[in-house]
Amino acid sequence: MAAIGVHLGATCACAAVYKDGRADVVANDAGDRVTPAVVAFADNEEIVEKNGKLQYEIDNKLISPEDVAKLIFSKMKETAQSALGSDVNDVVITVPFDFGENQKNALGEAAAAAGFNVMRLIHEPSAALLAYGIGQDSPTGKSNVLVYKLGGASLSITILEVNSGMYRVLATNTDDGIGGVCFTEALAQHLAAEFQRSCKHDIRGNPRAMMKLMNSADVAKHSLSTLGSANCFVDSLYDGLDFDCNVSRARFELICSSLFTKCVEAIKKLLQQVAFTAEDINKVVLCGGSARIPKLQQLIKDIFPNVELLSSIPPDEVIPIGAAIEAGILLGKENPSLEEAALFIECSAKDILFKGVDETGADKFMVLFPSGTPLPARRQHTLHAPGNTSSVCLELYESLGKSPMNEENKFAQIVLQDLDKKEDGLHDILTVLTMKRDGSLHVTCTDQDTGKCEVITVEVAS
Amino acid sequence: MLRGAHEGQLTAVTGALTAASVLCQVEPVGRWFEAFIKRRNINVSASFQELEDEKELSEESGDEELQLEEFPMLKTLDPKDWKNQDHYAVLGLGNIRYRATQKQIKAAHKSMVLKHHPDKRKAAGEQIGEGDNDYFTCITKAYEILSDPVKRRAFNSIDPTFDNSVPSKSEAKENFFEVFSPVFERNARWSNKKNVPKLGDANSSFEEVDAFYSFWYNFDSWREFSYLDEEEKEKAECRDERRWIEKQNRAARALRKKEEMNRIRILVDNAYSCDPRIKKFKEEEKAKKEAEKKAKVEAKRKEQEAKEKQRQAELEAARLAKEKEEEEVRQQALVAKKEKEIQKKAIKKERQKLRTTCKNWNYFSDNEADCVKMMEEVEKLCDRLELARIMLYIYFATQKEIEEINEQIRREKEEAEARMRQATKSSEKLTTGGGGGSKNWPEDDLQLLIKAVNLFPAGTNSRWEVIANYMNLHSTTGIKRTAKDVINKAKSLQKLDPHQKDDINKKAFDKFKKEHGVVPQMDSAAPSERFEGSPLDSSPWTTEEQKLLEQALKTYPVNTPERWEKIAAAVPGRSKKDCMKRYKVSFSYPELVEMVKAKKAAQEQVMNATKVKK
Repeated sequence: MAAIGVHLGATCACAAVYKDGRADVVANDAGDRVTPAVVAFADNEEIVEKNGKLQYEIDNKLISPEDVAKLIFSKMKETAQSALGSDVNDVVITVPFDFGENQKNALGEAAAAAGFNVMRLIHEPSAALLAYGIGQDSPTGKSNVLVYKLGGASLSITILEVNSGMYRVLATNTDDGIGGVCFTEALAQHLAAEFQRSCKHDIRGNPRAMMKLMNSADVAKHSLSTLGSANCFVDSLYDGLDFDCNVSRARFELICSSLFTKCVEAIKKLLQQVAFTAEDINKVVLCGGSARIPKLQQLIKDIFPNVELLSSIPPDEVIPIGAAIEAGILLGKENPSLEEAALFIECSAKDILFKGVDETGADKFMVLFPSGTPLPARRQHTLHAPGNTSSVCLELYESLGKSPMNEENKFAQIVLQDLDKKEDGLHDILTVLTMKRDGSLHVTCTDQDTGKCEVITVEVAS
Repeated sequence: MLRGAHEGQLTAVTGALTAASVLCQVEPVGRWFEAFIKRRNINVSASFQELEDEKELSEESGDEELQLEEFPMLKTLDPKDWKNQDHYAVLGLGNIRYRATQKQIKAAHKSMVLKHHPDKRKAAGEQIGEGDNDYFTCITKAYEILSDPVKRRAFNSIDPTFDNSVPSKSEAKENFFEVFSPVFERNARWSNKKNVPKLGDANSSFEEVDAFYSFWYNFDSWREFSYLDEEEKEKAECRDERRWIEKQNRAARALRKKEEMNRIRILVDNAYSCDPRIKKFKEEEKAKKEAEKKAKVEAKRKEQEAKEKQRQAELEAARLAKEKEEEEVRQQALVAKKEKEIQKKAIKKERQKLRTTCKNWNYFSDNEADCVKMMEEVEKLCDRLELARIMLYIYFATQKEIEEINEQIRREKEEAEARMRQATKSSEKLTTGGGGGSKNWPEDDLQLLIKAVNLFPAGTNSRWEVIANYMNLHSTTGIKRTAKDVINKAKSLQKLDPHQKDDINKKAFDKFKKEHGVVPQMDSAAPSERFEGSPLDSSPWTTEEQKLLEQALKTYPVNTPERWEKIAAAVPGRSKKDCMKRYKVSFSYPELVEMVKAKKAAQEQVMNATKVKK
């Protein structure tokens, strides 16, 4: 059983396969793990490959984006099938979060035209989360994850809430004005300036020479993500003159500093938009080829000093791997397609908290049942009480967001009495909260030692 | 860390939750999403997965719970008599018996072996039977039987704990379902087929009951009685003996099987005969049939009625048509008769006319003999001729008349001319005589003059000349008149009192009458009839008549039949109609009103008459 996950970006496409419980990116026949999403229409053949970049022109032919997408999908399918050695058609395809219904349909149809059986179209940020398996191990708990994707032609940042293993997009922002190409261009401009300085030729108006420089800058940019410096060498760049230049990482970062600032500012803006601070984000996932840039990673780390920056999977492979994992999950499902209504699920509206005391004896509120939990749901906690008391009181509060707690928010209390006193130890109180789909709450408190139990049911005010 | 409760603090819900659940859009990725959707689709609670896990767990523990206690009865078992032992009980499976799975049997045997193996007991210092005499043999045998599906089935078939009894009919009279349900349930285990239908209850549908009985009447049992074989095939020493044993066994098994089938049959028969539902269904069926029959009869009756009705309707229609036809014929006959009468009348009238005409003309002859002859002829004609012919004759007669008249006119003219000549002679003498000169003016001329004067009234251009001209042109006397003559005469005529004018007119009329004596008679012939009985004609009532009428009215009271006829008879000279009218008038309206009314009636009658004519 195998399935494919395909990510089709603005500049690159990448396919990953899911087999035997593992998802991995497959390299194309040229040995590249990422295929440029470029179609060259030569006189009598269509080529989808890296070299296509140079041959990119459409001579008097009108080609719809769907046709291009179809050709790229065909190529991806070929790649995946040659890697698997079997005929596999089931696929999950990622789409940017801001894709509309029509775009999704067009892409799905293109994939179907390429011979794929599209099981589902998923959003890139959720695929990224899935690639890291965030929230997949245990279906409890709630966290916020920021997905930072700097692709070839766009920057998109998304904040997702992970609750009970389900992902919910809280906010997203896409900037089509910035991408990996901008860095290459900046570097190429720098190289052109260097060339002008050394050879006294301004080649900025010469497209052929600029294209050569762009290619060279691209290679150098990639090298600079891992090396401290990169050598740019272009034979006969202009007028038979060779170009040779060494660019250090520091220089590159200097050249692109304004771009970096732009990239980072977008994060801050989005956080403001949802009234989050950096502390509210539990994880940051990096994806997109340009997220490899060390300076960028460092800048992001600066914003989220206490947050785990997930970049163990190559950022440009995160999304296809996530897609492949989803394909693996959907594999064997009788009817993997979903209705639109299925995406809307009832969630609890408010946090359910209890009031306890911390070590110093001050009141402290702890969340028992977080807001946004898909319903129906059951949450189980073992709470502790000092062993020297014979009775325990659990006071339940509800609250929305970070508003301060007061007595008005209290809606119930549960008291367990006549417990066995333990001089050296704690009472273990098993608290089970169950919320139905309509939002009514059922709380059971059980003392583990005596088995004493109290049950309450709280309805929703109509 | 929770804190302790305050004194008197109790479990309580102090308020409702302020917010219900909210709909959120989630990303359709991840296994938890799939699990959630699956749960939602099959509509189970959140604990579905947990419940399933628990179920599996409990099954496993259930297997382990099948632990065996000490079985004191094991020690009492006689290994020789293994055939009559309860193998399930021996293995400690007495509680689940035939429902025990192979796994359970294996486990039970294992634990039994562990506990009761002779070596173990020997080690425990227990007395062990010699060889096969030890009760452990029974355990081995039990396992041997139960672990082999064929042998186990054979043993199951004769399960000693199975209740083979069949409830009698009398037992089930009162509480059929309580008695038979468990019986069928326990016998259901012999069925080869799965999903044995249940007996059901009093409310089961006909289909269910039918399916139940058809299943049990065709009961396919796997029960077999090889376990009870008297002889053991294995004991046979030679082939012939084995064959003989086999034959014996087969016969015994067949017998037992037959008995078993019989038992089931009796059971089902008993159940069937006692089943209150069957009774009910039968009654219902009967009722239904009866109803159907009734409906059929009813339908037939209705059909017949409808047919009868139709037939009668047809007859009625035919009768009506016939009547109508007859009526028409009668009407026609009436019309024909009337016409005939009218014709007859007309003929009569015409004959009369002919006769009168002939008579008037003296039968177109002068001497008596001819007259008589003609009279006879006319009579003959009148008798024989049709109406049209008579009319034709009359026409001829009149033609003759006209000729005659013309002749007369001609003669008179001659006469007049002769006279005129004389007159002119005398008038010439009297021209100066002025005045009237009436002698010059014969009556004809005078008439002509009057006519001319009227024709050319005063104001006509040279009036008198024109009149004179006209006179000359039209005068029959042949006297030439000048304008002066005419003026003089006209003036003298004007001077003459109207009396003279009337005289002249009267004379003219007389002359006309004389000349056209027949014509007014002819004219009056037709309408005379029409105006017959006209109230206008009714002469006023005399006092004697009035008195007579009153007397008659008194004599013949209102209810007398043909009262008015009798009254009319009592008043001579008055018709029934007259009497009625008079009665109405004298007792209700004054005479004047009656007269007005009579006038009106006459007008109406005339109008009607003209309409009829049209």
